[in-house]
Amino acid sequence: MDEPKIGFYICNCGTNIAKMVDCDAVAEAASQLPGVTVAKAYKYMCSNPGQEMIIQDAKEQGLDRVVVAACSPRMHEPTFRKALATAGVNQYFLEMANIREQCSWVHDDREAATEKARALAFAAISRVSYHEPLERRSVDMCPATLVIGGGIAGLSAALDLADAGTQVFMVDRQDHLGGNIARVDLTAPYLDSARDMLTERITRVLEHPNIEVFLESEVESIEGYHGNFTAKVAGKAAGNGEAHEVAVGSVVVSTGYREFDASRITHYGYGKLPNVITSFEFEKMLRRGEIVTKEGKVPQYVAIVHCVGSRSKEYHPYCSRVCCMTALKYAHEVKSAIPNCYVSDVYIDMHAFGKGHEDFYRRSSEVKTLFLMFKKNEHPVVRKADPKDDCEMLIEVNEQLSGELIELPADLIVLMVGMEAQPDCREVAHLANISADKDGWFIESHPKLDPVATTTDGVYIAGACQAPKDIPDSVAQARAAAARILAHISRGKLEVDAVYAEVDEDLCSGCRVCNELCPYTAIEFDEEKHKSQVISALCKACGACVAACPSGAIKARHFTDQQIFAEIQGVLA
Amino acid sequence: MTFEPKIVGFLCNWCSYTGADLAGTSRIQYAPNVRVIRVMCSARVDPTFVIRALEEGADGVLICGCHPGDCHYSEGNYKLMRRYPLLKKLLEEYGIENDRVRLEWVSASEGQRFADIVNDMTERVRELGPSTIRPALQADAAGR
Repeated sequence: MDEPKIGFYICNCGTNIAKMVDCDAVAEAASQLPGVTVAKAYKYMCSNPGQEMIIQDAKEQGLDRVVVAACSPRMHEPTFRKALATAGVNQYFLEMANIREQCSWVHDDREAATEKARALAFAAISRVSYHEPLERRSVDMCPATLVIGGGIAGLSAALDLADAGTQVFMVDRQDHLGGNIARVDLTAPYLDSARDMLTERITRVLEHPNIEVFLESEVESIEGYHGNFTAKVAGKAAGNGEAHEVAVGSVVVSTGYREFDASRITHYGYGKLPNVITSFEFEKMLRRGEIVTKEGKVPQYVAIVHCVGSRSKEYHPYCSRVCCMTALKYAHEVKSAIPNCYVSDVYIDMHAFGKGHEDFYRRSSEVKTLFLMFKKNEHPVVRKADPKDDCEMLIEVNEQLSGELIELPADLIVLMVGMEAQPDCREVAHLANISADKDGWFIESHPKLDPVATTTDGVYIAGACQAPKDIPDSVAQARAAAARILAHISRGKLEVDAVYAEVDEDLCSGCRVCNELCPYTAIEFDEEKHKSQVISALCKACGACVAACPSGAIKARHFTDQQIFAEIQGVLA
Repeated sequence: MTFEPKIVGFLCNWCSYTGADLAGTSRIQYAPNVRVIRVMCSARVDPTFVIRALEEGADGVLICGCHPGDCHYSEGNYKLMRRYPLLKKLLEEYGIENDRVRLEWVSASEGQRFADIVNDMTERVRELGPSTIRPALQADAAGR
């Protein structure tokens, strides 16, 4: 092997890396290594001038290997691979050293962090010498999409995909479409009817020639890979256990949320006191058009309690995002139905972050709603009133703004139940081969730059299954997912990673140990030659067979033994 | 001066490496002793990787993969789970202390867990002191 010409670049990332790692010292140390032709530190390697520097050096100095010590390769590996390709260097001749997420951001000792960054840089330099030029594969893209969940997100994605002329299979376990919004009366802050909004969408989906809807059905399995998945859909209704198999190129997971079980917070009396109801039960009343107590009386006092299950140490730590505006909407609806009713809003903080929300908050204050602030984790207590009181119940609130303990009368109490992940979110994550966080929300590929894709290519997430979300955000994410899918479909072919396993026939003894190991049945046995062979299109590059082969006959492209040994040596040098 | 152990970490790309990245984006501080090598799946961790790391001077080796049942490749971690006890047995035969090589499951959302594991392992390996494998190998080679 000719000695490679390695370009080493270390990124300051503004001060993100430079404040904890002496980048110049690492560059200097790297420059001493054999093969390193160029070693530079720069403020932002991912910027245009940063990439241009690599391209320029590659052309002028004939670099054939590049190491970038910067952020996680999960972030910018594609960026730098592209830069190499532009410079006419095979993109697999790149290696990154993760010195931000796994170094400068997690250590507070500059000397130790610099030493670790140096070790990681050495590992990458040592590894990159053994890199091989690889070509990406091209596979056909099946132009159909599976949409799991027919709420507002699923409907929006399905319509965009179908309107563009591509086939959609929509699966929902309920006997109707619409998800949680089908249970809502008006939407905040513009007080539009949720029903009007949904009916139009649902009708279009049901009548669309490009959409096939499976109601009361569940997806049982998803096999295959980006561009070519096969999903099994099974009917769950009594008397309809019919199973269908659909071929799709992409999957949109839009399975939404469920509401928090209010009976878990005992001091609100939900399930015990008949006039303590949840926001969804109140929506039902609003849709019926009458706000009454269980006894059929028109309430004189309505209290709305925020953050039920949300923003709490005991239940869910996160904000459910939609409840504050929904609570204000209730104040409006109660006031317009029962003008002399006293409405109070018992809240922790008013989160009015969205477009038009702050205005809506102001208008709600003007319709004489009483706002009472309580402290996080110090829940108000609800009890039944005495017969001498002129109300059904009393709420004791340690009111923060006045500093007083206030007893609030109430005939009807609406609990703003928060959102939580679906009870079977882990199973769905497993089915779609994506991840769920500690709260059960599905994890996006990148929290800021790629909030629609997941770690599995071809599987997208949209709506509240990713995190609590309001309607516009759910729709935006769903339509973004549809746009991503359409972009792939329009190209007809998909470029997939060149990383897969290969059998060296000369070394293969035909023992067949690997045949059984492969989770994708990507290894077949050639009876005639008595050798195993990897079907590269099916291989997902896990490397299980590589580690198991007793003859060392299987090579994991881009993760070869030699490359990893070099990395081990480098990281300890 | 306290002994600062060098630990090589083999992390699967999908769960554990992402979990370690999350520790970074969450700015969770932990010991700088683990140097991570990314593999696609914990099933790719050939026992020879662990042995090679010890030979090259690592004082400890940490392997992290997706939790059982959560593997990106559906069952890769189970394959490692089968291989791992055999490796441990072999290492034990060679007199390599149990705490020097460790297998843990870290999901993509467990940044804190990754940090805790790194801290705990660093502490334990520090108590064991430097590994004598590399010096012994070097002495052996010199004697030949």
